[in-house]
Amino acid sequence: MKRLQDMIETLSIPVFATLLGLLVGSIFVWLAGVQPLQTYTSLFCEGFGPTGCDSLTDLIVVDITDEDTGETTYHFAPTYGEKGHPLGLALERATPLILAALSATVAFKAGMFSIGMDGQFALGALVAAFLGYWLPQQIYGLAGVVDPDEASEALQLVMRLSIPAIIISLAAAAGAFYSWIAGYLKVKLNVNELISTIILNAIAVQFVTFMLNGPLRADMNNVARTERIDDTAWLMPFNRAFLNDVDWFNGARLGIGIFIALVAAILLWVYIWRTTSGYEQRMTQGSSLFARFGGIPTDRAIIRAMLISGALSGIAGAIQILGVERRMVDGFVLSGTGFDGVLVAVLARESVVAIFFVAVLYSGLQLGAINLQFGNIPRQLGGMIIALIILFTSMEDYFRSLITRFRLRVFGVDQIVNDDDNSDGTEEVQHA
Amino acid sequence: MTTAIEMRNIRKYFASSSTLALDQVNFEVQPGEVHALVGENGAGKTTLMNVLYGLVSPDEGEILVQGKPVQISHPDHAIQQGIGMVHQHFKLVPSFTIAENIMLGVEPNQFGVLNSSTEAEAVRKLAADYGLPVDPNKRIQDVSVGIQQRVEILKSLQRDARVLILDEPTAVLTPQEVRELYVVIRRLAESGRSVILITHKLLEVKEVADRLTVMRRGKVVGTDDVANVSVRDIANMMVGRQVILTVPRTPAEPGETVLEVENLLVADNKGLPAVMGASLQLRKGEILGIAGISGNGQTELVEAIAGTRPIDGGDVRLLGESLVGKTVRQRRDVGMAHIPEDRMTSGLNMTTTLDENVVVTSYDREPYSKGGYLQFDAIRQLAQQIAKTFHIKSAAAGGNVRTLSGGNLQKIVLGRELEGDPALIIANQPTRGVDVGSIEFVHKTLVDVRDHGAAILLISVELDEILALSDRVAVMYEGRIVATLDMDEVNEEKLGLLMAGSSLPQDDALAYEEMN
Ligand SMILES: Nc1ncnc2c1ncn2[C@@H]1O[C@H](COP(=O)(O)OP(=O)(O)O)[C@@H](O)[C@H]1O
Ligand SMILES: [Mg+2]
Repeated sequence: MKRLQDMIETLSIPVFATLLGLLVGSIFVWLAGVQPLQTYTSLFCEGFGPTGCDSLTDLIVVDITDEDTGETTYHFAPTYGEKGHPLGLALERATPLILAALSATVAFKAGMFSIGMDGQFALGALVAAFLGYWLPQQIYGLAGVVDPDEASEALQLVMRLSIPAIIISLAAAAGAFYSWIAGYLKVKLNVNELISTIILNAIAVQFVTFMLNGPLRADMNNVARTERIDDTAWLMPFNRAFLNDVDWFNGARLGIGIFIALVAAILLWVYIWRTTSGYEQRMTQGSSLFARFGGIPTDRAIIRAMLISGALSGIAGAIQILGVERRMVDGFVLSGTGFDGVLVAVLARESVVAIFFVAVLYSGLQLGAINLQFGNIPRQLGGMIIALIILFTSMEDYFRSLITRFRLRVFGVDQIVNDDDNSDGTEEVQHA
Repeated sequence: MTTAIEMRNIRKYFASSSTLALDQVNFEVQPGEVHALVGENGAGKTTLMNVLYGLVSPDEGEILVQGKPVQISHPDHAIQQGIGMVHQHFKLVPSFTIAENIMLGVEPNQFGVLNSSTEAEAVRKLAADYGLPVDPNKRIQDVSVGIQQRVEILKSLQRDARVLILDEPTAVLTPQEVRELYVVIRRLAESGRSVILITHKLLEVKEVADRLTVMRRGKVVGTDDVANVSVRDIANMMVGRQVILTVPRTPAEPGETVLEVENLLVADNKGLPAVMGASLQLRKGEILGIAGISGNGQTELVEAIAGTRPIDGGDVRLLGESLVGKTVRQRRDVGMAHIPEDRMTSGLNMTTTLDENVVVTSYDREPYSKGGYLQFDAIRQLAQQIAKTFHIKSAAAGGNVRTLSGGNLQKIVLGRELEGDPALIIANQPTRGVDVGSIEFVHKTLVDVRDHGAAILLISVELDEILALSDRVAVMYEGRIVATLDMDEVNEEKLGLLMAGSSLPQDDALAYEEMN
């Protein structure tokens, strides 16, 4: 009974926060001189709804009237892909976000408030952009192939299978190393991880920008960029590889990356909640003194968490290059994907499952807002609503006390006090 | 004779912790009496007095001072009404002198000039009037806790307090300081003032108080003349059932040496020496009590033995094996168990379940872990077995331990640490902040494991606890073991002197004579 109550309370807070965020947001929408309800409808339709979506119910079941026959048909909205569906794009954007959020979560779960995702993401991407071009060149050179197009089918196949895996592993290693620095500083010198990761992020941005404008610059294009990665390193999106006719994708570069994110999430969940190593780091998070007094090697747990965290961000960067952008363009490092991942992790309250929903919601809202700017609505709206939701979510304690006060009024003091009864009524004390 | 203080139907609900701290409480104090307010931890004693002192505003109820209803919503109002309070944690400025602290806010500062010599003179006079000798020119940071308490009392008296509230004043004092405080309290009462003495030490009540009020879980259980009730009655009223106050135990039958500490050197958090050459020996089947006022190196000694603080010199041997440089886990493997001083941060992880709390010392070995994966059924079984043996509220089994009371929490720690029959048990303040019922249980359990051959190192600031449980007592003072006594040569007086560094009380006596 008590636990059910707790669960409802815990679940209702983010929902409540989201509604409140939308409500307060609507004041601004209204001030901007547009209809709030209509704006929200288009915001969600642009982000999550199928073509032809014009009401909030269309997000679930969409009704389509055939222009010729005048017949109305009903379709399950998320899979209705006639003339394209934005969900594919939302998932494309959500992929690195999910990985970055997992990265933040695993660090948080060792009591490390690391926000180094941006730097690790940038380094992972740089490794991928470089190797994606360089590594295949080397292999062609060794195999004596002059024109890559003329390479044998067998070689191509082997390369397609192995190169992305190698690159992703190395990007993961780069991210892990970078994150390890912050972990090591914390363990050995007790340097606050928040500060060290902020500094490491700044260094990574400078380094990547330098590499991009210097050694790795491909051509004299206005905006500095690297060479495009070789096709054998490319994680081809589904609609390019085999689902060519499916409109639903709407040009989204959605590929194997989302499955990598899914597998990473499952593995991470098992690691955190089922393994002894995960236990070590959760106890370190809960109370590091308790962990130390109990005999848990807390330093090792912290370092391990930071290594995993960095690897996940590095993988996120690699997938963004290998699966989506195929080359690194100046400005990439400023995308803020890593930091958005931190926000997603915070909003999802470190729950691996919730990260998926929050990341898709977050990406969809951003997407909807970007699409909206073509209308007459200020483009900052999406960002503002996200910010408001985060703000209200962070007021959790306040909501909880509101709920308690409400219960107090409805049920009276006795009910609540008895609920929390934890008397020490030891019966006959007899120790065997 | 009008009643000095009367509190009627006071109710206070704390939404933040969902506790009804005070439930229709009625409380009254007569002029010239010492009124003891007793109850277990969390009974609501401090909250009730905070209401009286204007620090907590009640939801309902009224306060009458000398028969007249008053509004007290700020300590200033309380002071105007002649009510003074000495808190559990003193509110003094460490870098100020005693005189400055006492005169703070009421300095005789004509034209805004602080006149330190008149201040000192005023304080000296005040101190002499009440027989509370202090050196007005000493800084707070340089004087003992006992003196600081005097300063707090003087501060209230300076403001003409007719009713003085003392919140657990003896918790921080040596036995000698406690005696002196009693004298002061009696003298204040004789001068017509009322003293409200909050405590959960029952002998104290019998010794100084005229009347007492017992609280239990936010309610007043009863008020009576002290002469009409026995210590046992009071204990039963506090707990709400029969309790056994003394620990039944047979003389120890010590065996071979289990723990040897030799010339141990340990630094505190600031890197300053805290343990300076301490040596001790502990044998199988005995309890060695370490007595001492907190802050004399006990914490550092324990942590160095337990493995959470580096050993800077000397040696610690457990069952003949040196522990220097070993991790906590390695020491536990040799046969150490440790009940830490602070169960909320070191003994338990308050953010998780009973299961995860009991398995912390064995999570990585069979049957609790196989191939790197936790085995939840086995862990569950362990937790249930401990909960059953140690009478831990079963409701706690699956849920978070956060909601459990201090007594239940301590039993979880105890259950976990005694699992697997360790050779050495370090019990640091094993009953701090737990209720009378749980104290009884913890004591019985410790004696019981001793009888089964464990060696127990008991560290406690409660002299009663040391005396009740130990087979031998070592006294720690300024980082050294200054004496180790067998139980038959121990008495409270002797221990008190040793705990105070032996020479300190004479200094005080001299200071007192000088002043008169
Ligand atoms: N400021 C506060 N906020 C929330 N709960 C409180 C606060 N002060 C006390 N409590 C709760 O009220 C109860 C009574 O506490 P207290 O008066 O300090 O007890 P005592 O002094 O008798 O040990 C306890 O359960 C405590 O947790
Ligand atoms: Mg108290």
